[in-house]
Formats: sequence, C-alpha cells, structure tokens
Amino acid sequence: MDLTGDFVAPSIDWYALSPYIALLGGALVLLLVGSLTPRWPRGWYAMLTALTAGAAGVVASLQFAALADDAPRSLMKGVLAHDRFGLLAVIAICAAVIITSMMASDVAVSAAAAGDAPSAVADGAQTDSLEPYSLLLVAALGAAIMVTANDLVVSFLGIEILSISLYVLAASDRRRTASHEAGLKYFVLGGFSSAFLLYGIALVYGTTGQTNLGGIAVVLADEVTLPRNDAMLLAGVALLLVGFAFKVSLVPFHSWTPDVYHGAPTYVTGFMASLGKIAAIVALVRLFVVAFPVRADDWRPAVFVLAVLTLVVGSVLAIVQTDVKRMLAYSSISHAGFMLVGLEAAGHIGSSSASEGTSSTLIYVVLYSVLALGSFAAVSIVSRTATAAGSTNATSLDAFKGVAKTNPVFALGFTVLLLAQAGVPLTSGFVAKFGVIRAAVSTESYVLAILAMVSAVIAAYLYLRIMVSMWLSDSSSARRTVSFAGRVTLAAAVAITLVLGVLPTYLLRLSESLASLAR
Amino acid sequence: MTDLVWLVPLLPLVGGLILVVFGARIGEPRAGWLATLLTASSFVVTVLVYLDLLGMPAEERSHVVSLFSWIPVGSLQIDFALLADPLSITMALFVTGIGSLIHLYAIGYMHGDPKFSKFFLYLNLFVFSMLALVLGENLLVTFLGWEGVGACSYFLISFWHNRDSAAVAGKKAFVTNRIGDWGVMTAMFVAFSAVGSVSYKAINEAAHEGAISQTAISAIAILLFVGACGKSAQLPLYFWLPDAMEGPTPVSALIHAATMVTAGVFLMTRVGPVLAESYGWVPDTIAIVGAATALFAATIAVAQHDIKRVLAYSTVSQLGFMFLAIGSGAYVAAIFHMVTHAFFKALLFLGSGSVIHGMHHEQDMRKMGALRAAMPVTAFTFIIGWLAIAGVPPFAGFWSKDEILLYVYADNRLLYVVGMVTALLTAYYMTRQVILVFFGEARWHDAAGEHGAHGDFRPHESPKVMLIPLVVLSVLSVVGGGMQLPFSKDLHFLEHWLEPVVEEAERSIKGTWAYDNKYVLLGAAIVVALTGIALSVAVYAKRRLPAIEPKVLENAWFYDATVARLVGGPGAASFRGVTLFDARFVDGAVNGAGAVARGLGGVVRRSQTGFVRAYAVFIALGAVALLAWFVWRGWLA
Amino acid sequence: MLAASSSTIPFPVLTSLVVVPLVGAALVIFFGRARQEWTKLTALLTSVTTGAVSLWVLQAFDSSEAGFQFVSQHEWIPAWGISWHLGIDGISLFLVVLTGVLFPLVIAGVDPHHDERPYLAWLLVLEAGVMGSFISLDLFLFFVFFEIVLVPMYFLIGGWGYDQRVYAATKFFLFTMAGSAFLLVGIVATALLSRDSVGSVTFDVVALAETGALSVTQGRWLFVAFAIAFAVKVPLFPVHTWLPDAHTQAPTAGSVILAGVLLKMGTYGLLRFGVYLFPEASVWARPVLYTLAVIGIIYGAIAATMQTDLKRLVAYSSVAHLGFIVLGTFALTDQAVTGGVMQMVNHGVSTGALFLLVGMIYERRHTRQIAELRGLQQVAPVFAGFFMVVMLSSIGLPGLNGFVGEFLILIGSFDTARWWVIVATTGVILAALYLLWAYQRVFHGEVDDANRGFAELRPREGALLFVFVAIIVFTGVYPKPMLSRIEPSAKALIEHVESRTDYQRPAQGEAGK
Repeated sequence: MDLTGDFVAPSIDWYALSPYIALLGGALVLLLVGSLTPRWPRGWYAMLTALTAGAAGVVASLQFAALADDAPRSLMKGVLAHDRFGLLAVIAICAAVIITSMMASDVAVSAAAAGDAPSAVADGAQTDSLEPYSLLLVAALGAAIMVTANDLVVSFLGIEILSISLYVLAASDRRRTASHEAGLKYFVLGGFSSAFLLYGIALVYGTTGQTNLGGIAVVLADEVTLPRNDAMLLAGVALLLVGFAFKVSLVPFHSWTPDVYHGAPTYVTGFMASLGKIAAIVALVRLFVVAFPVRADDWRPAVFVLAVLTLVVGSVLAIVQTDVKRMLAYSSISHAGFMLVGLEAAGHIGSSSASEGTSSTLIYVVLYSVLALGSFAAVSIVSRTATAAGSTNATSLDAFKGVAKTNPVFALGFTVLLLAQAGVPLTSGFVAKFGVIRAAVSTESYVLAILAMVSAVIAAYLYLRIMVSMWLSDSSSARRTVSFAGRVTLAAAVAITLVLGVLPTYLLRLSESLASLAR
Repeated sequence: MTDLVWLVPLLPLVGGLILVVFGARIGEPRAGWLATLLTASSFVVTVLVYLDLLGMPAEERSHVVSLFSWIPVGSLQIDFALLADPLSITMALFVTGIGSLIHLYAIGYMHGDPKFSKFFLYLNLFVFSMLALVLGENLLVTFLGWEGVGACSYFLISFWHNRDSAAVAGKKAFVTNRIGDWGVMTAMFVAFSAVGSVSYKAINEAAHEGAISQTAISAIAILLFVGACGKSAQLPLYFWLPDAMEGPTPVSALIHAATMVTAGVFLMTRVGPVLAESYGWVPDTIAIVGAATALFAATIAVAQHDIKRVLAYSTVSQLGFMFLAIGSGAYVAAIFHMVTHAFFKALLFLGSGSVIHGMHHEQDMRKMGALRAAMPVTAFTFIIGWLAIAGVPPFAGFWSKDEILLYVYADNRLLYVVGMVTALLTAYYMTRQVILVFFGEARWHDAAGEHGAHGDFRPHESPKVMLIPLVVLSVLSVVGGGMQLPFSKDLHFLEHWLEPVVEEAERSIKGTWAYDNKYVLLGAAIVVALTGIALSVAVYAKRRLPAIEPKVLENAWFYDATVARLVGGPGAASFRGVTLFDARFVDGAVNGAGAVARGLGGVVRRSQTGFVRAYAVFIALGAVALLAWFVWRGWLA
Repeated sequence: MLAASSSTIPFPVLTSLVVVPLVGAALVIFFGRARQEWTKLTALLTSVTTGAVSLWVLQAFDSSEAGFQFVSQHEWIPAWGISWHLGIDGISLFLVVLTGVLFPLVIAGVDPHHDERPYLAWLLVLEAGVMGSFISLDLFLFFVFFEIVLVPMYFLIGGWGYDQRVYAATKFFLFTMAGSAFLLVGIVATALLSRDSVGSVTFDVVALAETGALSVTQGRWLFVAFAIAFAVKVPLFPVHTWLPDAHTQAPTAGSVILAGVLLKMGTYGLLRFGVYLFPEASVWARPVLYTLAVIGIIYGAIAATMQTDLKRLVAYSSVAHLGFIVLGTFALTDQAVTGGVMQMVNHGVSTGALFLLVGMIYERRHTRQIAELRGLQQVAPVFAGFFMVVMLSSIGLPGLNGFVGEFLILIGSFDTARWWVIVATTGVILAALYLLWAYQRVFHGEVDDANRGFAELRPREGALLFVFVAIIVFTGVYPKPMLSRIEPSAKALIEHVESRTDYQRPAQGEAGK
C-alpha cells in the first residue's frame, strides 16, 4: 500500500455495505426519533430493532447467496472483507439481535406488570425504554465490523464499539447492584485488554509497515525485504492474542466472565454469550489465518496451550458451581476451548485440512450461539418466576427444582439444549463438536482431540446436574409462566438444534466456501 | 431291539415331565406308582436290549443310536447319541432294576410326606440322568447325565429344605462335585484338541493306536479321574457323601450307594484304553487314592453312631476298593464289585431305612438294640446284607472283593495288605452295627419320649411295599456272586460279557504267583473276614474287649472340620478381601476421579475472588507468559 | 466374503425396527396425554410389532449366507461420507431378535408404579437405540445409537430407580461417555486414515474393513481407542464398577434391559468393529484381553459370592459371564466365536429372567437384602421352581442354554488360550458356589414371620417367566438352529482375520502329535 501518494477516495460498494448502514441507521433512528417523540407503546422499540436487524440479516443472506458464484473480495481498499466466512457471522449476529430484543421487551413487560414492588423486578431492566435497544443495534454494528474487518485498525474500531455498548448493557439493570458491578468490572478489564490490543497493533505495524491483514501476510511472506525484527513482530502477535483472548474469554483471561455473566441481566448475558463470542472468535480466526499464516508454527503452540487450559479449567470450574447462570458462564468458556481446537487445526497451514479447521470453528460458534441464546432465555424465564416468588437467588440450581413437573414441555426443550451442549448425537451440539474433532484428527493432533472429548465428559456432569434438579427433584415452586417471547425463542433454538443435528448436510456443504477468506 | 435303547432313558423322563406338570394333582400314592411303573418298564426295555445283545456275536455287541445333532460347530460335531454295549447295558440293568425296587420302597417310606409327588419327580429325573450318563456315546452326553444326577442329588439331599443342615448338605454336595466337573470339562477340552472329538470310540482308538501323544492321553486320564473323585467320593473330595445322608433314606440307597457314586468307576472303565496307554503313574495314583480312601473311610466307620453314617463311610470305603481295582487294571472286578455292592449296600440302606421308619426317625444306634424281634424281616435281610459286605462266602460281596484283591496282589503287595486290613475293618464295623441294632438289650424304651411317640412306644415292622424290595435285594446279595466265579474260566460270565469293552485295558495276571495260588488268597480273605466278625462280637456282644471308638475317628480324623475351617477362615477372608478391594480401590478410583475434578474446581475457584485487581493480575501474567513464548521464538528466528 | 449380500428387498425391514418404536414413543407422549388408558396399549402394540418384525427377519434369514442381509443404504451426511447403512448377519441376528422379544415382555410384565407415560416413552426410545446399534453398518451411525442410548437409560434409572438412583444414573452416564470420548476420536481417525486406501472418506464399516489398509501402528492405536469404549460398556475389569450401582438402582425393567441387551453392545462392538476392522491389532492384543476377561470371570464370581444384596449379586455375576464372552470373542476359533455370540443371547435371557425374579421378590418384600429373606420355597414353591431353573441355566447346567455357550467358548478357546481356559473353567465352580449359597439363604430354611406372607407366583408373572424358561430349555436341548445361523458369519469373520494376518486357526486332532 502506497503511503506517500495523494489520498484517493476508494470506490464504495454501497450494496455490500448496506447491512452495516442498516444497523447504524436503525440505531440512530431509535435514538433521535425515540427521544423526540413521547414513549412508544410497549414492544414497539423491540419491533423496530428486530425489523432493522431482520433487514440487515436478509440483505446479508442475499449477499451470502450471491457469493456462491463470485469470489470473496474486500471492500474499500481492503479494510472490510466480503466473504461467506464473515457474512454467515453477520447473519448470526442479526439473528441474535432479533431474539435478544424480544427477550428484552419481554423482561420489561413483566417488570412493568409486576408494578413497583422493587423485589419483583430484580432481573428486569427499567420499564420499556429505547436505550437498551439502540445499544443492541450499535453492538451488532460493532460485531459486524469485527467479523469482517480486514484491517487491524478497523478491527479495533469494531471491538470498541461492541465492547462499550456491552459495558453499558451489562450495567443496564439499575435496580441490581450486581449489574452495576458487572458493568464496571467489564469496563475496567475491557479497557485493560484493549490497551494490550492497541499496543500489539502498534508493534505489528512497526515491523511490517502494514495494518491491513492481507498486506501483513504479503510482507511476511516474502523473505527478501529489509531485515525484520521477528521478536518485535511476535511480541505484537502475542499482545494481539492477549486482547482477543480476553474477548473470547480464554483461560487465564477469562476471570471476568462468570462475574459479568452472572451480574448482567440474563438477556444481556445471552447476548454476550452469543454475539460477543461470535464476533471475538471470528475476528481472531481471521486475524491469524489471514495475517500470520507464515507464523503459524509460532502461534499454533500458544493456541494449543490456551485451548487445553480453557477446556480443562472451564469444565472443572463449571461442575462446582451452584448457580445456573455461573454454570453456563463456565460452560461457555469450555466451549471457547473447543473453538480453539478448530483454530489450532486451522494453524496447520501446510495441511490440506487446515481450511476444515477454519470452517469448523465458525460453524461451532454459530451453533453454540443458538444454544446459548436458548439456554439463557430458559434461565431468565425460570428466574423471573423465582424472583416473583421472592427468591433471593433467582438463578440458583434450586430454582430449577421440579420444573419438569410444573412445565414438562419447557423442561423438555431446555433438556434438549443442555444435551446438545453436552454433545449428545442428533443435536447441533454434536455436529459442532464432531466438526472440530474431525478437523483436529485430520491434522493429526490426536492429543488435543482426546483432551477435548474428555473435558466434554467433565462438563457433561454440569448439564446432568441441571437436568437432575429439573426432572428428578420435587417441585419447589408453582408453575412457571412462560412468556410468548420465551416460547418463540426456545422453540426456535430447539428446532434449529434438532434439525441441524439430524440433517447437518446443508450446513456442511457450505464449509468449503466458508473457509475461503478474503485477503 | 437295540435301536429302541433310547426308550430306556426316555420313559423315566416322561414320568418326570408328567409329574412336573400334574404331580400335585396326581398326588399320593398314584404319583409313586406312576414313577415306579415307568422305571420298571424302562428296566424291561433294558432287559430286552440285553437279550438282543446276547444274541449277537461278541464283537458286534456295540450299537450307536444317534438321536439328533446336538452341538455342531465347525470341526466339533457332537451328536446326542446313545451307545448300547455290554458295559452300558450292565449299568443300565442295575440302575433301572435297583431303581424300580427303590421307587417301590419309597412309596411306603415317603408315605404322608407333603411333597410326596415331588419326591418321585426328582427320583424319575435322577434315573433319566443316570441312564444318560451310562448310555452316553460321547463324553458330553455322559456329562449331561453327570451334571443331571448331581443336580437331582442336590434336590434330594436338601429335600427337607426346612432343615438348614439338609440345605447346607445339598449345596456342599453340588459344589464339591463341581470341583470334579472341572476335571471332566477340561478333559473334554484336551480330548477335542488332541483327538478332534469327544466320542469314547474315537478317544479310545486314538489312545490305543498311539495316534496322540502320551502326555495328552495321561492328561485326559488324570483329569477324568479328578471328576471321578468328586462323584465317587474319593479322597480328597469324599467329605460331601456322609453329609448327603441328610436326604431321605431311599435317596441314600439309590444315589449315594447303588448308582450315582459308582459313576466315577464306570467312567474309568469306559476310558480303560486311555488309562492303559497313559504314563505308569496315572494308574498308580488311582490305585493309591483308592486304597487310601478305602482304609481311611473304614477306620472312620468303626466309630460312628448314626446308623446311616456307618453305611455312608462304608460306601466310601467300598468305592475305594473299586478304584483300587481300576488302578490295578482289574476292570471286570471293579464292575463286578460295583454290581454286588449295589445289591447289598442298597439292601443295607433300605434296611436301615426300615429301622429308622420303625423307630420313628431315630437314627442313633445307641438308642436301638434287640430289634430283631420287633422287625424280623428287616433284621433277616439286613443280616444277609451284613454277611455279603463282610465278605463271608458264599455271599456276593465275598467273590467280588476277592477278585479285586487277587489283582491287587499281582500288582502291588503293599496295597494288597491295605486292602486286607480294610476288609477286616469292614467285617468289624458291620458286625458292630448289626449287634448294636438287632441284638443286645433294647435301649429304646427310655428314648421313647424324644421322638414324640404317643403312648407306649414300640418299634414296628414296615409295610409290604418296603419289605418286598428288601427280600428281592437280599436274594440278589446271596446269588449275585454267581455272575463271576473264580473256579474256572467258563464261570467268568461277566468277564466274557464285558470282554469286547475291556479287553484292550484289562490286565492279564496269568502266570503271576497270585493267579496260581488264588485259593490261598481266597482262604486268607475268609480268615480275615471271620477275624473281623469275631473281634466285633467279642467287643460288642460278649463285652470281652473294650470298644475302641476314639473321638478322632468319630469325627472322621477332623478332615471335614479342617476343610470347613479353611474355607470358613482364610477362604472367606480372601473373598472378603477381594470384595473390599473392589469397593475401596477399583470403585474408589472411579469416585476418586470425580472427587479430584470437584476438588480441583474448588481450588481453582478460590482464584475467583471477584476483585478486579486479582483478575488484572491474571491477565498480566498470561500476557507475560505469551510474550515470553513469542519473543523466545522470535530470537530463535 | 463379508461384503453386503444382494438380498436387498423393497420394504425397509431393518429401518422399521428403529422407526416403529420411535413412532410408538411419540404416540405415547402426545396421544397418551389425552387417553391415559391407551398409553400402555400403544406402547405394547408398537413393541410387539417391532418384535414381530424381528421374528420375521429371523425366519426370512438365509442361514447359508455369511454376509449381511436385508441391507438398506441411503445417503445421510454425504459431506462427511456418512450413510444410513443397515444390515444384519449371523452375529447380530439373534441380538436383534432378543431385543425385539425382550422389550414387549418387559413392557407387559413390569409396572413403573408412577409416571407411566414418560416411562414407556423412554423404554421405546431405548429400544430404537439398541436396535439401531445392532444393525448399523456405518461407524458414525453406530456411534450415534451407541451414545443416544445413554439418555433414555439415564432417565429410566434416575426417574424410576431406587434410593441411590441419581448417583447411579450419573455414574453410568459419565462412565460410558468417557469411554465414548475415545471411541469418537477413534472412529474419525479410522475413517480419515483409511482415506487413501478406500479412495474417499467413508464411515462404512464394510468398505473400511474390506478395502481399508491401516499401518500396524495405526491399527493398534485405533483398536485401543475402540477397546476402551467397549470395555467400559461390557464391562471388563477394572472399568466395571458402574454396573453394580446401575443394576442395583435401576428399576426392574431397566436392569432386565441393561443386562439383556445393553451390555451386549460392548461385546458386540468388540466383535463387529474391534476384530473386523483391526484384525492385526486384535490378534496382537489377545493376551491382554484374555487376561482381563479371565480376571473378570474369577473376580466377578468372588465379588458376587460376598454380596449381601441379591440384585448386586446378579450384577457381579454378569461381570463374570461377560468375561467368558470376551474370552471367546478373541480366541478366534469357530467354536469360541460362535459360542461367544450365542452366550450373548443366553446371558441376556438368563440374567434378564433373574432380574425379573429379583424384581418380583422386591415387589413382595420391599427388600433385596439376602439376610432378610428366608424359607421362600416353603411358601412359594412354584416361584422357587422357576428361580431354580433360571439359576441352573446361569450356573451352566448341561441341557440348559447357558451350558452350550460356555462349553463352546471354553472348548474353542482351549487351543488358542490354553492356560486362560484352564483358569476360566474354575469360574464354573464359583458360579455354583455363589448362586447356590444365595438360593439356600433365600429359599431354604424354616420360613420366618416376615416372609410367611410371601405371595406365590401370579398367573401374569408365570406366563412372563414361562417364555424365558421355554427359551432356556429349547436352546439348551436343541441349539442347532441357532448355531447354524451364527456359524457362517463367525467363520467368515475369522477367515477375514486369517486373510489379513499370519494367524491361523488351530487344527484339532493334530495338537497332540
């Protein structure tokens, strides 16, 4: 990239950018119009959010389909990638926004219905207002940028947009100090990690003179350029990894996760577990696979170690928890470990199966986010009734006692999601695991594969515990009220889990094209 | 007719099946008559088959009737086939014959028992199994019967299962027999691997023609002998038999005297050629074990008080004689003694049963005496049995025992001495029994109270159904010897009859000193027998000598007790140890893994303090570690 | 040789074996809510239908054909080379029939006492899973069924079991899943490593076994991975401890199914996948497996002797019996393998019946403690009679089914595993010891007041047990029809091993020379 030449405005492919624009537009409209007009009828904010996200998602899908024929390319002089890898993530992100906005309005509704009794609204945000929704859209925009960013600076931009809105969302439940604490923690530590990230970017730029991922790769690829300082470059890579590891919440950069997940309003937790994970892991994969393939031998071992740590610590810590939300927080960590197994496979650049690693990681995170959204929705449903019943810890394991007796169908749905997370066959969870394991095996990292499966067994204990208290213990409470939004979310999650579990063919047929990234 | 040999086992089986289903409805006494009838008719069929065989030339007297292919897999082809030849028919004859008599007897003996029909069900099943055992064409069919008789013996010993002693005795018998069965099964494995078949014909021929290694032959022989030791109550596995007396007396007579316990002797004779071809130490072992058992059991019988236990130990001792014969290569003599023994021992048991019956289930001889007046028929027949077993000519026992001793002398003089001593003891303790039960002063008046006998307790003679068998058997015990008389080759009827089966194995003693002076030995035997009787009379009738009944003999040399202590002590302890090991270590490891995981979680969890500073430290440390790695890699490049 | 035979027929028989129970489960759940009284009937009908189909397969089965029959193959996940490939041969035939027969009996004969609807639904799902794992000829498909079975079993134990049920159910689930962790990796590796020799990535068992060519090292490692998973399922010493807990805590139906068919998934897996896919490795690993099997035989028997809980006793006896099967499987002779397969069925019948009887005792006395039972034969002679017959078959009395299998295994293994067989045969003694001792303590002796009220066998129970006893006696007296169907496949499997290794079956009759 010629740095000395005059600035030439790049040609803009507006259609390709339209999803971002839609999300941004939606957010702005909500903020401006919403704050100028009197309060909208209940649910309208959510409606608008969902519609915007839906529109963005539809366009993204169209572009995704179109990419079947024409090769992946990059937009605006290569700052944004336009490839199926990114677009599938974008679609998932939009879906997450739709679901979350529904759940959010649902919370608000019930909170309002519960009147002013403060205890009754523990899990709810303030009664319906536009801020959370606009934040959801902004976060989505940030995530969308992250997953497609083909330039370190842009990527950082996306990260910050996403993070800041998540900080606020985490703290959005004004009635619960836990929520504030979560927001603050997340903010402080997030800033800390962003610093690492930024410094990493600086170092990489310093050594390669590039911020563009493809550019970096090119520079690193040819050996005859001026002598580079490898130590400095790799130090940069290390710091980048630290920054992303924090966002993906890999051990030992995970410690914020349980506290924040626990403190944040449950629908926000679901949002972080799905959208947040997607954005972070996809960006990380893109960064390493596109920018540092030549350095794979250096970062693969690091990824290996992080993967093992994350898998083991995540599942081991999960089984000693007594709070379902924390349990799921830790399980999300061990799932991140599985994603790294895929990334590790993608690191075997020479091998023909490296691409398998890339695609299987993406598929894993997408399928996981479905499970996460569904599971946290279930948690928020149960906890709300518990709160209404005046329970002090609404998300504890006891709150789930005997759910199967009071709400059999709901229990069955949640059980499906739990079994899927445990990786039982005929569920999307198994397809996801099988994918990464297959990638790992085909790149002959058997040790990692077996470690992953064994840690999955440990983690399974946690899902069994939840199932036990739902099915095998006597009911501690009356019938739980399952709101419409809750039904839809669960039904959708279960449907996707089972359909893709039994017939994953369509998803898998994509995997080839998913792995070809724009450079 | 020989083709109908399958009817022989079938008839009792049919009886059994009928009684399984309708037993309760048929009830007493019809169930008994049905069972007796079927056994008797199978006896008739056997006789017909026998006559049929007689009509054939000696070398053709071997007929295989294959019913169906039982276990055919690859090179292993086992048919459910019966073999009708002199040996099997001889066995079948006295199994069904004596069997019918004992059935008849039991109708009277079991009168009034609530499980009357069930008793005859077991009895019929037993006869079927026993016939399968003796008629089997191959080891597996024999083994079917072998295990079948074991099971029936278990049912019948623990027939009165409310008595714990009976239940325990039954289990003891079955398990001990199983130890022997291990030998039989392993023998089959060796035979199949070496010969490729488990049929007697194939095995015997292979052994005779030296088609297989002598090691294999000896292995088969000794392993089968292990099985024989179990079934025929030889040392060291004899100890189940005395306890088996817990069963009803007809059972003791049929199973534990006449038929089942002789199965071992039969099996050894069946595979005679294998024994003959195996290493010398195999027959020697058999002979020694036999002799040892004979003497050992005889010494114990001297000091028993229970009328049935005396007979039980005497049975063990007599079986020892038969194995002594086998070991000395005297197969005909063994079978001869087996048959005569079946006659007089069945007679003695039934007699004792009749006494017990008459004494209202009193079995202690010290509470009997002078019963000959009360039950004349029983007394008379019992005395005949006594003379027969004591070895007084011309009763059956004398001839068969003498025949054995003849061969033993030719084989090994030391064992001959042992045999003679045993013979002396036999005469002694049997005389003792007769005197204590039927002579001397009546010692049962005072005992009246104990056996709930109402009013003035008087021992009474048993009903006809019980007496007829006694009479028939006593006749047989008298004339039984006629089937094999030493005086001239032409009188060796049994030997000629069995020749085709045993010729390959039978040891020829022609030309030995014993053969030439057999009348000397004959005389010696008579002297010994009379001495034994005389001594006993002197001790128990005339009171000239003190009775020698030391505790050690009364308690069977404490052998049983020692075994029990070993099993109950170290045995049980080791079992408990294994079980503990399973719970503590194996399962402990499993639960331990779980505990470790949870414990680890608990530890790591502490790092989750909730303080931002702590979290920041982790991140910093992680960052340092990553930096270290990458930078190090950098320097390398 | 083992290649899929062409006997494909229009109607997907085998598929229906899996689908019918699933449909039944769905009906029970959704229909049953409206019409409670129909639930049991629906469950019964669907399971009977399945059983009927399995019996039809039995009579239509061509005993002269060693290869797979009724094969049905459809694409499922082409992207991963996975297909819905079902087939049946002499090795799986009788396991399928056993499954088909056992389930209706259990559904008809045993009542759950509460929540009948989910109970029946789980049972039917379980049946589908078990059926599937016995007939699937695709590694992935097999794994799916193998794993999915855990879920219904988990809920059956956890939901309808006894006081320690949650612990037992969790232990069962995690233990087996830990084994499967290795299995999954092994399966994937097998498919991927055979990629070049087969020509494409496929999970098709037949293709992998016939054309796949793995290096010796690869084969051995993969075999180990498979063996671990199946050893847990069998279960082999020392990974057997989940079994006693699962059995003791499971409801009667659960125990019957667990012993009857679930454990066989392990032994079947060792034979169908272990030996068939990795001939070299299975020949190589034989000494280890012999040793573990024999340890299991003796160890299980000893542990059984010392149990105070009747159900635990039977559970440990299973450990011993399955030791015999594993011994036979790896002895690799016609007799041993055929006997092993037959013994899988025999054990299913005998031990299944034993668990039914123990369940009936519990129904009446609400205890399984041997010490609290006494003199039952006095008050319930018929019941005792049935117990005796079943027990004798489990002891291995000639003329009953148990003997034929054990005898074939031992006599067949004698040439390839001589010393192990000699030790294993002593297990026969121990079997008599622990069962007769238990029988004596429970049924013999003078009945005490606590047991005086013990009810005699009821007609329905009698009918149920009669089926078992009939099978026990028939296959004991006339096993030929069974053996002649198993043998060709067993032979073919061994020839498959011989053609790929230097192993040769010993020729009897020579050994002595």
